[in-house]
Amino acid sequence: MSVVPLRSARDQAPTQPRLRIDPGVCDGVGICAHLAPDLVALDSWGYPVVSSTPLERGGLRRQAEAAVAACPRKALHLAR
Amino acid sequence: MSAHLRVAPDTTRVRLLDGAAVLPAHGTESLTGVARQDLAAHVAEHGSSVHSGAALIAELAAVSLTGRGGGHFPTATKWRAVPPGGTVVVNGAEGEPGCAKDAVLLQTRPHLVLDGLVAAIEAVGARDGVVWLHDGAHATARSVSAALAERAAAGLGDPPIRIVLAPDRYLSGEGTAIIRTLEGGPTLPRWVADPARPWSEGARPVLVNNTETLARAALVALHGSEAYEPTSLVTVVSMNHRAVLEIEPGTTLGGLVAQAWQSPDGHAPQAVLLGGYGGSWIAWRDAAHLVLDPEPLRAHGLSLGAGLVAPLPASACGIEESARLLRYLASQSAKQCGPCVFGLPAIAELAADLTAGRLGRSGRARLDRYVREVSGRGACRHPDGALRMWTSALTALHDDVRRHRRGRTCGAPLYDVLPLPEGAP
Repeated sequence: MSVVPLRSARDQAPTQPRLRIDPGVCDGVGICAHLAPDLVALDSWGYPVVSSTPLERGGLRRQAEAAVAACPRKALHLAR
Repeated sequence: MSAHLRVAPDTTRVRLLDGAAVLPAHGTESLTGVARQDLAAHVAEHGSSVHSGAALIAELAAVSLTGRGGGHFPTATKWRAVPPGGTVVVNGAEGEPGCAKDAVLLQTRPHLVLDGLVAAIEAVGARDGVVWLHDGAHATARSVSAALAERAAAGLGDPPIRIVLAPDRYLSGEGTAIIRTLEGGPTLPRWVADPARPWSEGARPVLVNNTETLARAALVALHGSEAYEPTSLVTVVSMNHRAVLEIEPGTTLGGLVAQAWQSPDGHAPQAVLLGGYGGSWIAWRDAAHLVLDPEPLRAHGLSLGAGLVAPLPASACGIEESARLLRYLASQSAKQCGPCVFGLPAIAELAADLTAGRLGRSGRARLDRYVREVSGRGACRHPDGALRMWTSALTALHDDVRRHRRGRTCGAPLYDVLPLPEGAP
């Protein structure tokens, strides 16, 4: 069993990162929806709606990493 | 009453105001009803021994003080999260067009607010303070300037405090927009990965507190937590004037409206918008007995928000009024996030179509879909608030909605009831 560092109550639960978006930086280019189809859908105006699923290592995490790396506006992040 | 039973002025419980302040429907330039306390009057009522530090933060936690700008986040938690060496801001840029409680405090109790600011600066180990005001809030800025001059002349030894003026926009009072400005950027909200650390990496930490919150912190710092009474400031909006009152715990929405609202048609209102223009509509039958304390409000999924109490006259149309507020809120977007830039105006347009009796079945489905798509997706909570207000209107005012769905308008004689800034769309 590993030792989990003490965190505030607000962010206790998620230890896996999630795909997160800075909507103020996003310009709706849409590459993310192609690279991470299981995590990103586009809304009626072409802007990404991002799933907040915690990402275990594996296929979904790889999709997220590809989308983060490819975003021309650097609007996507993997963060807890 | 015999002499020995006469009750002395209640010195055990302290209050912010000693009456109701009255303002016109628009602006905060001509306030009546509550006199301004200069430094001498302030010290006579509250004394001048402000205690601070970790003890004050513990007391703020003990009295469950929460942020009165609308978020109601625990103040002590926020203060404990800020590293030393930064800036504390008292946010007096009340963006809500209906609300005026912060202006009333800064114009009539400036020294209480400034005592709260100084106590916060000491408690979190900050270096300086900022009073953040709208550019057009002339009477408020005059009051704060005069108060700062009085304190300097009296040699109070306050840390450096300066006034910073923000553009007269709805979102200028948003916390991250303030921080961004103080970091040299534009006065626009921004997305933060960690809401507990809203300043930029490497920048000085900034603690933003609402005006009423700091005035309440000052009451605790001056009188101790035993003397603190968890009252609330509210702004009650009538068509020709607004009243800012301090309400006691246990006050019902119905009682407050009966006391402080002027009906334009002699009838009770049909609903009340509570919290702000991004708050919630409550049907009158549910509002009358609703207790305006944090617990019962939370149990109903409601919040006192920024303290707006805006009754809807019986002879006005709630859907038309909500669509009008939605159009205004859409126009006040910071124009940064796609869902807000494109989504809110599209929703506002469909809402206007609904009001005009022009929205068919497919249009209504589109309106519902847009609301679902935009919710929860801005860098700030602006679109969420706008959609909360609209969604609550559809529930609380469903009779109005039904009348509009029959392909015609309801024909209510009163319109443009709730105040919007001059020149609003």
